Amino acid sequence: MLRASIEYHGSQGDLRAITEGSKSGDSGVLHGVELTAFAEAALQGDPASLATARDNLRAVAGSQAVVDAAGVIANFQRMVRIADGAGISLDAPVGMMSSDFREALGLESFASAERSRELSHLQRIVAPLLRRVANFGLRRVGRRSRR
Amino acid sequence: MTPFNYAARSADPTDFIREDLAVAHREAWQHIAAPGSWLSGEKRIAVAEETRRARSCALCADRKTALSPFSSSGEHDHSDVLSPQLVDQIHRVTTDAGRLTRAWYTSLLSEGLSAEEYVEALGVTVVAISIDEFHHALGMPYEPLPAPLEGKPSHYRPSGAEIEEGQAWVPILAPGRTTPPEKDIFAGIPPGAAPNVIRALSLVPAEVRAWKMVSSAQYLSTAEMRSFETKRAIDRSQIELVAGRVSAINECFY
Repeated sequence: MLRASIEYHGSQGDLRAITEGSKSGDSGVLHGVELTAFAEAALQGDPASLATARDNLRAVAGSQAVVDAAGVIANFQRMVRIADGAGISLDAPVGMMSSDFREALGLESFASAERSRELSHLQRIVAPLLRRVANFGLRRVGRRSRR
Repeated sequence: MTPFNYAARSADPTDFIREDLAVAHREAWQHIAAPGSWLSGEKRIAVAEETRRARSCALCADRKTALSPFSSSGEHDHSDVLSPQLVDQIHRVTTDAGRLTRAWYTSLLSEGLSAEEYVEALGVTVVAISIDEFHHALGMPYEPLPAPLEGKPSHYRPSGAEIEEGQAWVPILAPGRTTPPEKDIFAGIPPGAAPNVIRALSLVPAEVRAWKMVSSAQYLSTAEMRSFETKRAIDRSQIELVAGRVSAINECFY
């Protein structure tokens, strides 16, 4: 969804921010460093680091952004546990759309990746074409909505 | 005192917390306190309590650092309301969900836990965790858990829920197999496009409704997910960056 939203907004993004976090520098997403630092502190940090991360995000994006980001953090603390707890596999269309960056970012090494089937030969062939069509469509819809 | 009275509790008074978040969290608390489909109100509250206990459980801490989460034995810090199988489920889902396996899930069933109880406990666990995590992220104390409500579980099981090999460990509903009582779960989703994460808890439809309700406030509604314009203070790419980072830290492939 991050890549789709970047395409939609017609911007350039660096998906390494997902796995490397705030240390990866500019992700291309506005206030990306502060947002990822807040997420990291919420999951890993001590209360002082978390308070600093909140202050830093608040300083650049405002209080409401802190609250909304906290909601997203909370939501995905739930979603990952639903996925892992129910043992669901990746949906085939999502797998095809994301196979390139999953490999590039090393997501295949996660233990939970074992639950998902590898793409078939045909799906591997079709996936790049599908991504191009989807990205073209997203950029076009995004441009229209910004007019 | 009204639960989730955020106006009076924010760590930073400038962090104005939207009323829809307070309402969703309040409704989720009521949902947890009420008798469910397979667990009583008392047990559901005990599940929520156990998610908090798991964070300081010595066995969980030991397992988290072990090469294999199944190499350490011992007993979780726990109350006596829930079975050992439910306690193990809740603690592992809370502290080390990324390393759960189908063999572990199957072993819980062979020890007497039903798939329905497992899914309901999972639903309560994740809603309780997400609300606690929201408070933690904003530097607020956890909301006290509500008192359990009297009553018996309904034992409602949707017809059509079954194991779909390669899709999930637990029995799930396919959109094409839903009967009218469950049609709302997949409302607004094109036929055949229901993602597994929405189907994951569908063996206990009330838990799907609860997480969708909380998700609409904390993240986006199902309809908003298909749009890239949001009414939040952060745009969709910012939302998804945070979502992706949280998932990656948790090593969630999905």
